[in-house]
Amino acid sequence: MVIAETELDSAPITGSSPAPVDQQRPPRDLQRTFQLLLATVWLLDAVLQLQPFMFTRGSNGFSGMLNGMAGGNPGWVAQTITWNGSIVYHQPVLTNAAFASVQFLIAFGIVWRRSTTYALGLSIVWALGVWWFGEGAGGIFQGGATPFGGGPGGVLFYAVLAVLLWPSEGSDQPFVAARTVGVRVAQGIWVVVWGLLAVLALVGSGRSPQALHDLVANLNSGQPGWLAHIDRSSATLFLHQGTTLAILLAVVCVVVAVGVFLPPQLTQVTLVVAIVVFAAIWVAVQNFGGVLAGGATDPNSGLPILLFALAYWPTNERRSPGAHAVSAPVPMKAEV
Amino acid sequence: MGTPAWLYYLFGALMLVVAGYCFVLLVLSVATHRPAGRDVDISHTLMGIAMAGMFVPSWAFGPRALWELAFAVLLVWFAVRSMQSIQRFGLHVPHALVHAVMSFAMILMYWFPAGLVSGSGSMDMSMAGRPDGAHLDAGLGLLLALVFLGSAIFTLASPNKGASHHGTHLPAYAMSAAGTGSPASPHGGPDGTTGEVEAMVAIPWLEDLSHVVMCIGMAFMLILMV
Repeated sequence: MVIAETELDSAPITGSSPAPVDQQRPPRDLQRTFQLLLATVWLLDAVLQLQPFMFTRGSNGFSGMLNGMAGGNPGWVAQTITWNGSIVYHQPVLTNAAFASVQFLIAFGIVWRRSTTYALGLSIVWALGVWWFGEGAGGIFQGGATPFGGGPGGVLFYAVLAVLLWPSEGSDQPFVAARTVGVRVAQGIWVVVWGLLAVLALVGSGRSPQALHDLVANLNSGQPGWLAHIDRSSATLFLHQGTTLAILLAVVCVVVAVGVFLPPQLTQVTLVVAIVVFAAIWVAVQNFGGVLAGGATDPNSGLPILLFALAYWPTNERRSPGAHAVSAPVPMKAEV
Repeated sequence: MGTPAWLYYLFGALMLVVAGYCFVLLVLSVATHRPAGRDVDISHTLMGIAMAGMFVPSWAFGPRALWELAFAVLLVWFAVRSMQSIQRFGLHVPHALVHAVMSFAMILMYWFPAGLVSGSGSMDMSMAGRPDGAHLDAGLGLLLALVFLGSAIFTLASPNKGASHHGTHLPAYAMSAAGTGSPASPHGGPDGTTGEVEAMVAIPWLEDLSHVVMCIGMAFMLILMV
């Protein structure tokens, strides 16, 4: 068969043009879409792990970064972190190549349907390990785990997402996060997470204007000009209004926590607030996790929190009318 | 110590493999008079060679201006194809768009080259930075890297195998998308010796894999440039 036709694109989302293929397609499997977005973040982490400084020994390298997480933690916690740091120090290439490989494995494992559950399981174990050894338990033991800085640890959200997105047959109603664990458990997880964020915004150095100022000021170096400009504004704002902003963030977190119990329209409003606030924090405070300065292993908590919030977005009947068979793949409309 | 040299060589070799594979696809499509996916084969061949030269500077050749011109032409081509697709099928994300973005990224990489130097110092990149000190905006680099990584993941997950080269509006893929059959090769059935070679080479999942490798290679290079 000779095919001269070369109009080879994805099916239309809107428009009045003919769409015979689209009309026959099953509804989109939203849980699968979220799994793939999570896989994309893991793939980004894997590629970030291949940066030159990650293979470097010493204070400017990966082992130095790991050892830096020990400071301020209780002795027994710090000891485990420096133990891991010393292993990386002695074998920087081997350990870093292994770390990157695990993250590639998780990303591609999530994509392949037969290995999705194994990959998500591995991602939970790996995320907890990274949280402890790589993020110093998120700074919780130091009293510096403010959500502004990524507390209680960006990688913890990877683990939470893995649980919520565990493959299962069923409906994406009333939101994707409830498909596997059920509505009550999903709501419980939501309340615990946002409640924790509210508490962490207020305890320890989380409400200290100077600490919040330093949080941004320390990230400033190496950032592109436009982000450094935003940083200066953020640092000044924190120095003058740090405590007020911490209290405001805590209030927002409490409102968002309650939002999941409200009618769908109000839930959407609280989710938009959460998304806007944490998108702003991700850019103006976390600086995309420091990725743009070339010294980060992940994009910090901003990106996974956005995914987490979107997983609770109320779904409507028309878009997700029924059960999705895990074994029945559905085509993605957006072929990016 | 920085990124070990073998990693750059590994990525460089992978880029050449992709370029070689897509060149074979290109030759087959010309031999069999089947234009489907030919533009993608051309772009991946050129990108593979160019990217290999970026990872391993000693493998680079040809004037930079010529490479920039080639990718500018590809950018315009894929941009026009994207617009044509939207005009014909309504508002959607066209398959050609990601290839337009990839061409755009290649131009940026030539405009704002990163100086890659290995730990041993043996890999001074021939394109070691611009004299005026200008560099790629890190935010744009990260955004492009995310797009390519997303494209890699969603391509791997797509049930429409080969769609990264041929899109999903090709009849074979349309049938597959509608759940009426498994994806058939968009190159059609074997025809003599060429057909046998084609049947061995033009495998939809392999075509997707070449796109995935290219996306990850480009994302890694962009991250290195950040």
